[in-house]
Amino acid sequence: MSNTSRRTTVTKVMFFFLKKLLFSSCGYIIPESPVLTLGSNFTALCILNESCLDFGNIRANQIIWKIKNSVVPKEQYRVINRTVSSVTFSDTSTLATPLTCNVLADGQIEQNIYGIAVTLGLPPEKPENLSCIVHQMSKTKFIMTCTWNPGRDTFLATDFRLKSQWPLETLPDCEPRGVNNSCDIFNVQFFVNLEVWVEAKNALGKAESEHIDFDPVDIVKPLPPHNLAVNSRELPTVLKLSWENQITVVVMELKFNIRYRISDSSDWMEVPPEDTASHRTSFTVQSLKPYTKYVFSLRCMKKNGLGYWSDWSEEKSGVTSEAKPSKGPPLWRKIGISHSPNSWTVHLIWKELDRSEANGIILKYEVTVRPRPPLSCPPEKYSVNSTNLTLNLTNGTYDVTVTAHNRIGGSPPSVLLIPASNSKASVKDIKAFPKDGKLWIEWTAPDNSVVKYVIEWCMVSDSSDCSTEWQQELGTSQGTFLKGDIKPFKCYLITVHPLYTNGQGNGQSTKAYLQQGMPAKGPTVQTKKVGKAEAVLVWKPLSVDEQNGFIRYYTILYRTVSGNETAVNVDPSKTEYTLSPLSSDTLYMVKMEAHTDEGGTSGPVFTFTTQKFGKGEIEAIVVPVCLAFLLSILLGVLFCFNKRDLIKKHIWPNVPDPSKSNIAQWSPQTPTKHNFSSKAQMYPEGSFTDVSVVEIEADDKKSFSEQDLKPFNLLKKEKNTSEGHSSGIGGSSCMSSPRQSVSDSDESESAQNTSSTVQYSTVVLNGYRDQIPSVQIFSRSESTQPLLDSEEKPEDNPGGGENATPRQQYFKQNSSQDETNTDGSHFERAKQVTPPVNEEDLVGLAQLQMSGHSSQLCGSGPERNKTESALADALSPSTEGQILRLETMGINTATVDEIPKSYMPQTVRQGGYMPQ
Amino acid sequence: MKILNEKRVVPLLLMIHCRLVVGRALTVNPSSSMCENTHVCKPNVAEQTRKLVVLLNATAQDLFSIYLDCQGDPFSSHLDELCNANGTNFPDFHVNRTSHKDIMVALYKVFAFLNASLGNITRDQEELNPMAKELLERLHNTTKTTRGLISNLTCLLCTDYKVSQVNVTYGKSSKGMNVFKKKQQGCQVLRRYVQVVSQAAQVLLPHLSQA
Repeated sequence: MSNTSRRTTVTKVMFFFLKKLLFSSCGYIIPESPVLTLGSNFTALCILNESCLDFGNIRANQIIWKIKNSVVPKEQYRVINRTVSSVTFSDTSTLATPLTCNVLADGQIEQNIYGIAVTLGLPPEKPENLSCIVHQMSKTKFIMTCTWNPGRDTFLATDFRLKSQWPLETLPDCEPRGVNNSCDIFNVQFFVNLEVWVEAKNALGKAESEHIDFDPVDIVKPLPPHNLAVNSRELPTVLKLSWENQITVVVMELKFNIRYRISDSSDWMEVPPEDTASHRTSFTVQSLKPYTKYVFSLRCMKKNGLGYWSDWSEEKSGVTSEAKPSKGPPLWRKIGISHSPNSWTVHLIWKELDRSEANGIILKYEVTVRPRPPLSCPPEKYSVNSTNLTLNLTNGTYDVTVTAHNRIGGSPPSVLLIPASNSKASVKDIKAFPKDGKLWIEWTAPDNSVVKYVIEWCMVSDSSDCSTEWQQELGTSQGTFLKGDIKPFKCYLITVHPLYTNGQGNGQSTKAYLQQGMPAKGPTVQTKKVGKAEAVLVWKPLSVDEQNGFIRYYTILYRTVSGNETAVNVDPSKTEYTLSPLSSDTLYMVKMEAHTDEGGTSGPVFTFTTQKFGKGEIEAIVVPVCLAFLLSILLGVLFCFNKRDLIKKHIWPNVPDPSKSNIAQWSPQTPTKHNFSSKAQMYPEGSFTDVSVVEIEADDKKSFSEQDLKPFNLLKKEKNTSEGHSSGIGGSSCMSSPRQSVSDSDESESAQNTSSTVQYSTVVLNGYRDQIPSVQIFSRSESTQPLLDSEEKPEDNPGGGENATPRQQYFKQNSSQDETNTDGSHFERAKQVTPPVNEEDLVGLAQLQMSGHSSQLCGSGPERNKTESALADALSPSTEGQILRLETMGINTATVDEIPKSYMPQTVRQGGYMPQ
Repeated sequence: MKILNEKRVVPLLLMIHCRLVVGRALTVNPSSSMCENTHVCKPNVAEQTRKLVVLLNATAQDLFSIYLDCQGDPFSSHLDELCNANGTNFPDFHVNRTSHKDIMVALYKVFAFLNASLGNITRDQEELNPMAKELLERLHNTTKTTRGLISNLTCLLCTDYKVSQVNVTYGKSSKGMNVFKKKQQGCQVLRRYVQVVSQAAQVLLPHLSQA
């Protein structure tokens, strides 16, 4: 059995069983497996077999339609007859597959009779935007690719075919592979008009695009020319390009685009299209720069402009031939310090020519220095390989020319006049500012014609010197970019020198930043002076490196601890500012910001506290108080002085002076020498009782002249040689404190200590030198008790042997330092009895002394001195050259006489002065 | 001879099946099969026709050379003896024609003959030199170009020159020939083709330029 017959038999058997199976079911649905358009309405019929009617007793009204497992509402059913039931869907988008026809067997059991698969979709839309392009794949191979927009998704298998035909021949369809929007046609035939369209077809219909008609040769994108070669010619400004076209001229003639650029530039230039509008395989590019490397590339398309440009060909480069340098090197000079007054050092500097100007490799520079009259030296020539030359020139004017030489020849000379006086006009209105990311400098040209300008610039920095760079510009220019490594945030000092034929103008300078930023730091502010309501702030200006831009202004920000911040803008030229008004005795925090155009930066915070009192306030308080105090003291003193009697009476009553008491009784032999006072009467002639106190302030010794101190020295000598002591009468102050006696020796100090309790002076009558006083010695008792009558008698005094010693007609009284003056003012008081004194004087002194004892109530030094000086004046006839400072002033005798009662000294001490 | 499958050519070929026919131009007959489905020719068809002839002329020599190379001896060494162009019925192309219409008719006859002959040659070379890709590719390209040319010529004859029928001749069928004869017939046809298409290109240029 052959394969064919076997296959036929199997098919027949399967068909039999299928037919049996179909016929064995109770019904079927029409249409069978429909493809429906989404959104359309649809009606299906379920037709029951007659056999089922007989055996199953099934009728069409028992049919239930279901979509998947959902029962279709019976409103959509329609029983056509007893074997046919239909269901209608107004919108097929609600349909799902399968759609089944079921019946309820035996009333409850649902049995499926038949089911169909429903396919939903859309018919294809008309393809749009059909276009074709022919890609050249090789010299003879072309592929035409047509693309179109297939339209919406149909949800069905849709067949797209690209159909084409010649005028009298239909070509095979192009069937897209894997896509539905493009198709490639191989073996494209040129020069035959081709009609192309797209046909889209699926189960629900078909659609056809618009037909397009073209000659495929008109839609070619050719391959770019290849094997491009660039060759230089003798002319330094031309290069010849040659290439191969990859499409034959019989297929199409081409036109070309040729582009080229300098190798280190990214800017393409293009040969005028009209020069390359014809088919060719070579082209000579002209107007190129000598000795410059150019890069070329070209593309092509059909000569008549139909079709597409090819891609750019691979790039090829070529170098034009050398030519003479087109211009001389930019030339400038720096005048150096000369070691000789008759010459100066000139550093000639010039820049290498740009490649575009050098037109080749510069082999050397030739420098010619030609002196101008009156110098008569011949021109000197130098051949230099570097770009600088240092010359020592005799004072004079020179024309310096520099030419650059390459293999072809030399450049035009660059000329510089040296030295050029700066007497010519300078540029005006020089400005510098950033522009297009570079630093632009512009100026107003002088009225005179300028040959060229030299622009010098350097970066201003605190850490490095201003290293000058320069560039040269044409005399016609009035602005240029600085050509160099200009850094942002750096200050540049830019100077423009105009150069004339016979000299140059003064350079004009300005400063500029390429880019400004905020200052690197803020100023550190501190106070210079702080007052009650103001504070003087000082700060150090930021260094140039810290500024990062032009400081436009400072802002001083200050506030109290809890207060709002106050800002004050300060001119950047200032370094000091007075803040006012401020609150007194308040802590302030102050900081300072430096602002450029780009913003500000704060410095550290400084705190200070304003003063509690303003300037002069303390003085205004203290001075009046002091004056008032002094005035009150003065008034008090005057009051005391005026009321001293009254004060004495109430506060310091007179103490009976023993010497006044009954002394006549004690010494009846003592004659009364004077009658002018009772006191004088009490002293016999030839005897005296004198108390003198000399107070010398230890620290003020020097304030006295030697002449003044001489008597004291004499007295001191005497005192040193005398063992006699006498304590000042009334050694107490007006403060009622006992006044200590002062002695020149330590012993006397101890005695003073003991005499601090002595209320009365010890009166020692002693003879002067070898004179024997005729009176008895009276010593003040150290007791404070009043003398008894019995004690007043000398003979009653059991004083022992000392009292038996001959009484001296001399007594001395030392007054101790006033304790009230221990607050720092130390006065030494000394009482000295002038040796050559007559009795009258002595008596007078004694009287004065005694009266002075009771007059120490107020104890003020100046007054005492005044009194003493008065006394000294009074005594001056008998006390020549000697100053007697009497501690007390005399009390009028009347007062003394009025004393009703007198006291005798309790003890009589022998004076420290021993008879000689 | 190969019977071309194209439906517009098949009736014509059936009519002249296996015999030589000397064609003559007939006036336009709307019922003519040649001019069925012919639309108005676009203005560029004449230029396209000239370019097609030029294109064929540019590729003919290479095709013939490659063909010879692929056939080997004795064809490459005894070209004149074995590939005498007179041995074929290739239509003549007289360069002294001045009528545009006659030139178009003559071109039609030449390329109708060539088209049928290329079919035979291509079929034979696919059997004899199935690995000669370049030769086969060139044969296919030339055949397609020839078909395009015929399409343009038909358009021109039917619309511009009002010629509805052209009697054309075809060469002998190579079916049943031995390998040598097949190769020889192909060599003879292609050699003559090189000569004729060159003449046609020369003649066609001024006429089409004037047209």
